[in-house]
Amino acid sequence: MPLMNAQQYEESLRKLNLKVYMFGKRVENVVDDPIIRPSMNAVAATYEFAHYPEYEDLLTTTSHITGKKINRFCHIHQSTEDLVKKTKMGRLMGSLTGCCFQRCVGMDAMNALSMTTYDIDQKYGTQYNKRFLKYLEYVQENDLTCDGAMTDPKGDRSKAPHQQADPDMFMRVVEERPDGIVVRGAKCHQTGAVNSHEIIIMPTISMREEDKDYAISFALPSDAEGITYIMGRQSCDTRKLEKGTMDRGNQIYGGHEALVVFDDVFVPWERVFMYKEWDFAGQLVEQFASYHRQSYACKAGVGDVLIGATQIIAEYNGANKASHVKDKIIEMNHLNETLFCGSVACAAEGHKEPSGTYLVNTLLANVCKQNVTRFPYEIARLAQDIAGGLMVTLPSEEDFRSPEVGKWVEKYYKANADVPTEYRMRMLRLIENITLGTAAVGYLTESMHGAGSPQAQRIMIARQVNMNAKKKVAKKLSGIPEDE
Amino acid sequence: MSNTRKIGLKYCGGCSPRYDRVDMVKRIKEELGGTIEFVSPDEPGTDFILAVMGCDTACANLDPFEGKLIRIITSEKDTEKLIKELKGEN
Repeated sequence: MPLMNAQQYEESLRKLNLKVYMFGKRVENVVDDPIIRPSMNAVAATYEFAHYPEYEDLLTTTSHITGKKINRFCHIHQSTEDLVKKTKMGRLMGSLTGCCFQRCVGMDAMNALSMTTYDIDQKYGTQYNKRFLKYLEYVQENDLTCDGAMTDPKGDRSKAPHQQADPDMFMRVVEERPDGIVVRGAKCHQTGAVNSHEIIIMPTISMREEDKDYAISFALPSDAEGITYIMGRQSCDTRKLEKGTMDRGNQIYGGHEALVVFDDVFVPWERVFMYKEWDFAGQLVEQFASYHRQSYACKAGVGDVLIGATQIIAEYNGANKASHVKDKIIEMNHLNETLFCGSVACAAEGHKEPSGTYLVNTLLANVCKQNVTRFPYEIARLAQDIAGGLMVTLPSEEDFRSPEVGKWVEKYYKANADVPTEYRMRMLRLIENITLGTAAVGYLTESMHGAGSPQAQRIMIARQVNMNAKKKVAKKLSGIPEDE
Repeated sequence: MSNTRKIGLKYCGGCSPRYDRVDMVKRIKEELGGTIEFVSPDEPGTDFILAVMGCDTACANLDPFEGKLIRIITSEKDTEKLIKELKGEN
């Protein structure tokens, strides 16, 4: 089924037998678990909105391998226009959900593998690209969500994978069999892992020959034997277990991350896309990272929601006409659109790789992500500034509903006479959710560290700018001989 | 024989629209009453394709409609102009 809807996606998840742990217990019903459910809703939105006429131009496209209409999250970019539409899709989905919708990482993994498998084959005469394209067709035909899993625990950061005291700090092959390999290790911070049908493993750093057992890439069904998920906590997560829903902030959507453990998991050869070609580990990492740094256009979408919420709370508070409030909201918009600019620019300046896949301009993708490590924090700061301290001192929904004290919450937290107190409370909770609640995981800390921490982008920026050209023109214009 | 004009409706993806595209289409329907019918842009026999774009970039893929008459709107002002034209006021 090349284009599932939300209901079909949910049904497909119910067929999985995932081994998920949260708060020390196995989660028996992952799809309906109240803490996980909002994150499932966010992925489901990528399926549902693909059927809406007003969004389908971004959320769907044509498969270059089957010619069928598919969800863009399963697509391999065939032009710079595709890359730009990917950026726009990210913003759109962020603006519709107000959170991380989790599905970009699999798309980025598949696009990176479409290039690296081709390049490995060119050098070593292997058949990885053919395998990968067969796998891609399976993903497209079934409209699957894939978790692109890169980040290993890494252990002692000063040591290479083979030097670690515990050899499992990076995912590695522990056994080779005639029909496949057995792998052991873990992947951290896996966004949307338990909402995924498939998990695609990639190495996490450049490697040397001594690390070749760690230079592996493969894909498995998310419920393959030996895979265990341990859910990450989020600030305010247990509010989703409370009686009312107002204190959640976002009533519909959310995100999640998990630690994914591979305890001697078998991978058949037809699912292996890199096997000890250590000299291609760095390329796969860089190409995946570049795509994923572009993907952070989603934060501009979440920013749209936060800016909207901030404007509304200014109006509810009766502060919207103050010039400094207006100016701060302009600043929020300026920063938000600058985020979008970086993602559009690296897409528009993309190019065709030998495999035929289009890759973003990697310098601009790193600049884009570097901005993302900063601007959402400033946008969030301005939102909190305008919202006021009540955002973090507000009594609970149960107090608001209380027969004893509810009347006082209602009375003393009334501001604009035309606005019910409850609306004011709801908007404050949404701002709280995005700037320091469950959604802040995606909007703030994930903006900082997701797709590589800030220093990773700075290294790439330093490596890619043409400093000699800059020095040359500076010398020429100041009258200094070029060879001085 | 029906006098209703069949208009193929195609939206851009709406990443950052400058106006509410869906509301504008509703407004066209309200203004034109039963004289028009919006259908899938892929449906044969349309009078023209109405491409509703959220901004001047107008990035929706119109390649599938090559050879068909396409009318693009990118703003509320464009919408008002279109309504007048369809009413025969221009």
